[in-house]
Amino acid sequence: MSRTAVRLTIIVVFVSLAATSVQAHHGWGGYDGNRVLNLTGVIREATYEHPHGTLKFAVEDKIWVVVLSPPSRMQVRGLTQEMLTPGTRAVVVGYPHRTIPDEMRAERITISGKRTELR
Amino acid sequence: MPMEPAFPAWLVWLERTAPAVAMRNAIWLYPIVEIVHIVGIVLLAGSAFMFDLRLLGLSRHVRVSDMARHLLPRARLGLAIVIPSGLLMFVAHATDWGTSPVFRIKIALITIAILNTFVFHGRTVKSIDQWDQHQPVPTGGKVAAVVSLALWTATIAAGRLLAYF
Repeated sequence: MSRTAVRLTIIVVFVSLAATSVQAHHGWGGYDGNRVLNLTGVIREATYEHPHGTLKFAVEDKIWVVVLSPPSRMQVRGLTQEMLTPGTRAVVVGYPHRTIPDEMRAERITISGKRTELR
Repeated sequence: MPMEPAFPAWLVWLERTAPAVAMRNAIWLYPIVEIVHIVGIVLLAGSAFMFDLRLLGLSRHVRVSDMARHLLPRARLGLAIVIPSGLLMFVAHATDWGTSPVFRIKIALITIAILNTFVFHGRTVKSIDQWDQHQPVPTGGKVAAVVSLALWTATIAAGRLLAYF
């Protein structure tokens, strides 16, 4: 009796967890680490917020959404909010999202010769 | 009409409140609140786990009533820590989490876990004099223990997975 109840509980919990078919978004798994992008462009907009900062990054005629690090990490590594002012030129190395065509996750960013690792 | 995703107005409002803005913009507030939340989880789930293991037959020399007297206040303290810290993290991303199935599952799991506790303390405990020490706990108590272990583990998993879905 108790064993049946245990099994039922485990099954119910795992089924209810597995039944949620939502798209993975955060973490590195959603990005294609085999396709390295090395993009030079201009920052159009920037956020410096938790859980991670973002850029609207203009490269030729395309606007990328670049996912950065948590602001605490960027600050510790010397990438201040002021350095991400719109209009600033930057070089971003990162990986494209597997399903969202204009999103990428940044491995590092270089602004006026200063390189910041973001992972 | 602007092309904004239609989030419920109360979630949008929550996300614009001062605590929500501070959580996103203050550099160290967010990690501090996360740490506090984890300490609360340790007290709450840790107390539950230790009590559950006793119900399942470990350390039968320790009186169940003594364990309850020691652990229940710690579990309540844990709850008093995880709720406000959890609310702070929720308001910071109210539109994301308020519409997330993973968050709904997490709340459901917590609700069932607390109900399970009430059922145990309201029914099973009545016969405690017969199994307080050195005796096997009745089936109802063991079921409550396994359910509790599974629910708190799943709650922690759902909380962590919120960031990945």
